[in-house]
Amino acid sequence: MKILAIVSQTQDTEAKIKVSASGDSVDTEGIKWIMNPYDEFAVEEAIQTKEKHGGEVMIVSMGPGRVIESIRQALAMGADSAVHIKDDSFADIDSFAMGKVLAAEIKKLGDYDIIFTGMKIIDEESGQVAVQVAEELGIPHVSLVSKVVEIDPDGKKAVCQKEIDGGHMVVEVPLPCLITCPDAMNEPRYASLPGIMKAKKKPLTEVTLGDIDLGSIGLSEAEMGKEGARVKTVEMKVPQIERKLKIIKGQDEPMVKGAEVEQAAEELIKLLRDEAKVI
Amino acid sequence: MNNEVWVVADLKLDGSIRKVTFEAMTEAKNKIAGKLGGQLCGVLIGSGVSGLVSEMGKYGAEKVYVVDNDLLKNYNTEGYTIALSELIKKHEPAVVIAGNTVFGQDYFPRVAARVGAGVTMDAVEIDLTDDKTLRIERFSHSSKAIPTEVFHSHYPMMTTVRPNSFKAVEDPKEPEVIDGGVTINADDIKTKVVEIKTKESDRPELTEAERVVAGGRGLASEENFKHIYELADILGAAAGATRAAVDAGYCPYDMQVGQTGKAVSPNLYIAIAISGSVQHFAGMGSSKVIVAINKDPEAPIFQKCDYGIVGDLFDVLPPFTEKVKALVSEG
Repeated sequence: MKILAIVSQTQDTEAKIKVSASGDSVDTEGIKWIMNPYDEFAVEEAIQTKEKHGGEVMIVSMGPGRVIESIRQALAMGADSAVHIKDDSFADIDSFAMGKVLAAEIKKLGDYDIIFTGMKIIDEESGQVAVQVAEELGIPHVSLVSKVVEIDPDGKKAVCQKEIDGGHMVVEVPLPCLITCPDAMNEPRYASLPGIMKAKKKPLTEVTLGDIDLGSIGLSEAEMGKEGARVKTVEMKVPQIERKLKIIKGQDEPMVKGAEVEQAAEELIKLLRDEAKVI
Repeated sequence: MNNEVWVVADLKLDGSIRKVTFEAMTEAKNKIAGKLGGQLCGVLIGSGVSGLVSEMGKYGAEKVYVVDNDLLKNYNTEGYTIALSELIKKHEPAVVIAGNTVFGQDYFPRVAARVGAGVTMDAVEIDLTDDKTLRIERFSHSSKAIPTEVFHSHYPMMTTVRPNSFKAVEDPKEPEVIDGGVTINADDIKTKVVEIKTKESDRPELTEAERVVAGGRGLASEENFKHIYELADILGAAAGATRAAVDAGYCPYDMQVGQTGKAVSPNLYIAIAISGSVQHFAGMGSSKVIVAINKDPEAPIFQKCDYGIVGDLFDVLPPFTEKVKALVSEG
């Protein structure tokens, strides 16, 4: 099987978030860049699929030079090769153009059976690109797949379990298809030391924006940046929710004990009823 | 292009319309349709949906487009994508909105790619700029940032909206019904539903609940989660959990709230034995009132909640639950 995984790099959102001087983005100074956690599930699923059915895993990634670190991580986990669509000007690209560019590059890779990618990217919190890649490729997608039940490479189909509101759904989909990965789908492996050594020798192809014939995929130069984007970020704020911070504690030690428990429960209910008016 | 503002109904598996649809209709009418000088229209896509027209009218739809087809039963990606894409191409609305539900997240971006539209997801504010383009706010960076995003130069302008972000207000209209006239062939349907498992539960769903009671790893067992369910049921609340509690096997994944679970925005969020990690707050930080019960006075949640008790849940919860029960039964 030829298995693809689309991998993005994202800001580590554990960090304190500050608005940049321009006011329309997050300040990336001192921010740590990591492989998008959802894409780790995608890479793991791709490798497990290869281990089960044979074949190769190819990583496809789009972004500036730093993205190479996440690509190497995926190769060290066990992927076989990678394509890096590399350009520094991608910062302002919208999902529509990104979907088209990724699909155009994937088409050049020849036939493939299945594509895995994360359900969303944790910094932008946008989940539309994956689905839009599938649309541009003209293949079906199954989103939020909690479990790949079965892949039948000969019968050219896959059976997936997908989480829905209030339950789950099992769907059968013909190959090739694209699958988006939520949390808890699998346990991504760590890159081993030999894996890290081997990764350095694995084939890595670099593609630049100049290599892409934008006209042939119906995109103008302007649509690759902020000017022509269908959607652009004009302002970035940090949420300012003032919380009341009314915390009931014990007399002698922080924890309420003994008779204090009843009082605390009573007091909390009063606050919720009379002040917050939520019960 | 015309000036119509469309809200596509999000359906539950039992065929009823989700609350988020009506929330989106009220907000779209007040914030967008008026300024744009266009009609608020409903869109019904599904099997046996014709009977839902009056529901859409109740919340202000002046027109309802209907694609009623057996092939759309139980939702499928291709059928919904074809139906909405064809409707958009034929009638050229200015704005198209749907709920950010599992289904909305699945087909909406695909439709946007097909019709060449811009799309944003999970908006918590929607508005119109002076240039009459759509402006939305949403959460990013684990809910630690709020980008304002503006559309331009391409129509329609499409967005999904987060459930519980707006208030639904009735505004009865007698809508004009327009048959979508979209043809869907059996061959068009690629993803076939083999099985659907829904949980029989009287509790509201997490994403649309007004109140949520959630438990963390401190509950210490699956058995102890009964404390969470008991309080939830008394309050008519949904039951939630942290990733740690789900990973420990105390409750199923569909209860997980947080970055890697569901995003909720209830009026009241009661966090029991939850420390308050960045990842958990990414899923519930926009709750209107946050209450914490935790025995660790240093737990981060005490720095970002409204009310709290420092105490052992096994001491505090039983009397608290009893008193809430008494209060609720008093009415």
